[in-house]
Amino acid sequence: MDVIDLRILLAPAISFGCAVLIFLLGARARWRRVLALGAAVTKFIVILSLLPGSLAGKVYVFEVLEFLPGVGISFRADALGMFFALVSSTLWVLTTVYAIGYMKGRHARVRFFGFFALCVSTTVGIAFAENLLTLFLFYEMLTICTYPLVVHDETPEALRAGRKYLAYTLLGGAALLLGMILVQSLAGTLSFSHAGVLPAEAGSGALLATFVTLIGGFGVKAAIMPLHGWLPAAMVAPTPVSALLHAVAVVKAGVFGILRVVHNIFGVDLLAQLGYASWLAWVAAFTIVAASLIALAQDNLKRRLAYSTISQLSYIVLGAALLTPFAALAAVVHIANQAFAKITMFFVAGAIERSTGKTQVHQLAGIGRTMPWTMAAFTIAALSFIGVPLFAGFVTKWYLSLGALQAGAWWFVLLMILSALLNAAYWLPIVYLAWFRTPAAESAPIHEAEALLLVPTLVAAAYVLLLGISMQVSWLPFSLAQAAVRFVAGL
Amino acid sequence: MELWLPLAAAVPLVAGALTPAIARRHPGLARPWALAVAAWVLAAAVQLTRRVVLEGPFSYPLGGWARPYGIELRFDEFSAVAVVIAMVAGLVLVYSGPYMRLALRATRLPWYYSLLLINLGGLVGFVTTGDLFNLFVFMEIVSVSSYALVAVAGGRIAPLAAFKYLMAGAVSSALILFCIGVLHALTGTLNMADIAARLATAEAPAPILLALAGLTAGLLVKSALFPMHAWLPDAHASAPSPVSAMLSALVVKVGVFGLLRVYPMFAAVDVVRLAPMYEILAWLGALSIVAGALLALFQQDIKLMLAYSTISNIGYIVLGIGLANELGMTGAGIHIANHAIIKATLFLAAGAIIHQTGRRTLHALRGVGHVMPWTCLALAVGVFSIVGLPPTVGFPGKWYLALGALEAGRPGFAVVLLAGAVLIFVYYIRILNAFYFRSPSEVGMLSVREAPVAMLLPVLVLAALCLAGGLLGRWPAMLIGPAIARLPGGG
Repeated sequence: MDVIDLRILLAPAISFGCAVLIFLLGARARWRRVLALGAAVTKFIVILSLLPGSLAGKVYVFEVLEFLPGVGISFRADALGMFFALVSSTLWVLTTVYAIGYMKGRHARVRFFGFFALCVSTTVGIAFAENLLTLFLFYEMLTICTYPLVVHDETPEALRAGRKYLAYTLLGGAALLLGMILVQSLAGTLSFSHAGVLPAEAGSGALLATFVTLIGGFGVKAAIMPLHGWLPAAMVAPTPVSALLHAVAVVKAGVFGILRVVHNIFGVDLLAQLGYASWLAWVAAFTIVAASLIALAQDNLKRRLAYSTISQLSYIVLGAALLTPFAALAAVVHIANQAFAKITMFFVAGAIERSTGKTQVHQLAGIGRTMPWTMAAFTIAALSFIGVPLFAGFVTKWYLSLGALQAGAWWFVLLMILSALLNAAYWLPIVYLAWFRTPAAESAPIHEAEALLLVPTLVAAAYVLLLGISMQVSWLPFSLAQAAVRFVAGL
Repeated sequence: MELWLPLAAAVPLVAGALTPAIARRHPGLARPWALAVAAWVLAAAVQLTRRVVLEGPFSYPLGGWARPYGIELRFDEFSAVAVVIAMVAGLVLVYSGPYMRLALRATRLPWYYSLLLINLGGLVGFVTTGDLFNLFVFMEIVSVSSYALVAVAGGRIAPLAAFKYLMAGAVSSALILFCIGVLHALTGTLNMADIAARLATAEAPAPILLALAGLTAGLLVKSALFPMHAWLPDAHASAPSPVSAMLSALVVKVGVFGLLRVYPMFAAVDVVRLAPMYEILAWLGALSIVAGALLALFQQDIKLMLAYSTISNIGYIVLGIGLANELGMTGAGIHIANHAIIKATLFLAAGAIIHQTGRRTLHALRGVGHVMPWTCLALAVGVFSIVGLPPTVGFPGKWYLALGALEAGRPGFAVVLLAGAVLIFVYYIRILNAFYFRSPSEVGMLSVREAPVAMLLPVLVLAALCLAGGLLGRWPAMLIGPAIARLPGGG
């Protein structure tokens, strides 16, 4: 049932207003902190207040304006959108706290926090977009708003990474625009309100072009191989930005777009009939394995995290491409599972870098003794990625395997097992190094990162456990994911 | 009131001619006088547009002589662009105050304002006349005043550039005049509606073809379509910035607007088909999009970059006309006005930066974003508009053009269009990078101050229009709908 509600407009507007105020405030650091935190919490509360209605089956809508005939900016918070918005706004609160601690004493903080808030504003816009045009609009704004964050250090290396990032994402954006125009001319609408809008009789050439441009366009941010090159390069950004890029906003915007294309633009039935999705599934499978293999060879912690992200994102793509309800469920819940686990790891990497200056894996021997809480959080996240039961990652693997069997593609179950082994192969050595090896230098006393860095890390890790243990609790995002899948499968 | 129409063009022309006399004793009077006249023209244009929306196109027979004996002024939906013309000219006049005070001797100021008013009158006359010869006369008024305006401030390059501009302009004018003569010899009339009616029964294809080809070529030179663009970059880049804004935003549009005016004359001709001509236009447009963008890539001087991007944007408009369907021509029609707003924003913002810093290459302007935040914000808005990101004013035109390309069964043109947009982004990103993320290459940059209010205000108003024009993008498209339907191929 559709309900007109201003709150879904309010959610992106809060972050946007916060960004404007941060720019206007200038150098007043104390007020900036109050503002950033206040906006993060307010937005979280606003989105949370939508949750009961959303769980009860309400769909909130708000049409802003129709700026071209038939297409306009309009918002709609269905179950999938609510899920994404809830995940990103939860993480924004954590990341804001973390960023306040991390960025202390660094340059250009006004710009940093301003664009940071803008990024989150656009992410919620993406989550609540009612049609492809609104999604595209915020998707491009996200590209532009993350650019100043990627090049934050203004070093030649950062600028080079920024150029690479823009080159990839802008070409992706252009492909997306082309795909959007194809959808408009084939279907006459860009709306996400239906389970598929493209007509089957449009001709396979046009439909294939639409599929390739849309998936290719979103695939850049979803870092599907071979479109992933920007992601490791963008690691040069400050750690909260990496966390934001990898867990909250950018890559998730990509996979969210793919979910929208598969579920709302093509529709599961049409795609099953056309058969394009099985190619996508193989590309995703390839990405899962290849990115893991590359991750094994990385010594820089953040680079290893980056390749792990590339691998994990393709779980979501694979889940969408299998076209079965269980797989779709896995795809949706993995948005949250990957986000919380990955942000934990980035927080840890940043905390280690800030308090000890270490960035390479081999330097981490015995770090568990000096930073026990931090490394405990890291261990939880690592176990989740490996897919140990009772951790969030297991839920994904479970449903993805069920979905693969539903689709009659048992070989993807083997892929899950292979991927679990690979994950173990590159995360467990770090855990082993941290806890069971003595440090090279004399044993240091316990020296944890400061509270502003530690607390968000622990909360994120706790969330990973919570997502793994209590999936069935009704107010957790899982029930939203189920609602989203029910809509897709037409139940 | 019937007289709005003849007075809309006549008042600025007469007032322009009188300006030097009025301001002879007090040169300071010239600007307020010009501003008052521009405000009056804006009011008249709004009045006339209101009437055309309510009643449809209307005519005014000059001196009471009905066509075909007298000169017919005709205001149709396309003529509504007069609102944009008056608005841009008015803002340019406001901006000229502080800018020209430095660039010109006080005694020459009245002449400058006189030329600007004559230019404005010529443009308004050009878009509101229904008589072919009258069209030519207004075109010459615009052109001749433009040559003078390029050279008005003197300097090393400007007089040479003005001379080059004059040569190209004079040749194309002679060609157009010759073709008008041919048409007059064929039909015995100069009223465009009458020519259309009489050409329908004409039997000799050769002279009609000659007139069509000659008018097209002449008008395209005026619009600087690649490869007839050689005169434009120097003229637009070396002129004082307010003049550059007038030239790039409005004066080059004379050519493409002229195409929309003269093509209907050939609509009903039996012996000559328009389709091959449209095909040539589409290809030339596509070529111009890419060539203009590529040439801009290699520029260091920001005004030269802007000048080359005009060539690219004229390509969009010509491509849209060449697509010869309703969507493509709508895209072309609205982009004429939309590009005017964008390019005025960019040139005025760039001019303010050059005026305040005294530097004009990307390298020397590094870091200017921090000392001139408002101007650079407006410039950034202009950049995103010219790339065509939604919801800016650059988007609707590209949207319609791409849909038109698909409808015409030419997806290749849609790809070219988007490739052009990506290329444009690549070179504009360089501007933003230099302004915001590079540390200043010169110490003097730190002591630069924000532009004076009289320059800043027009720039900010234009930037706001860039956003508003995009959000309300469907109004212009709806407005020119009936006029598009009357065009050959547009129905």
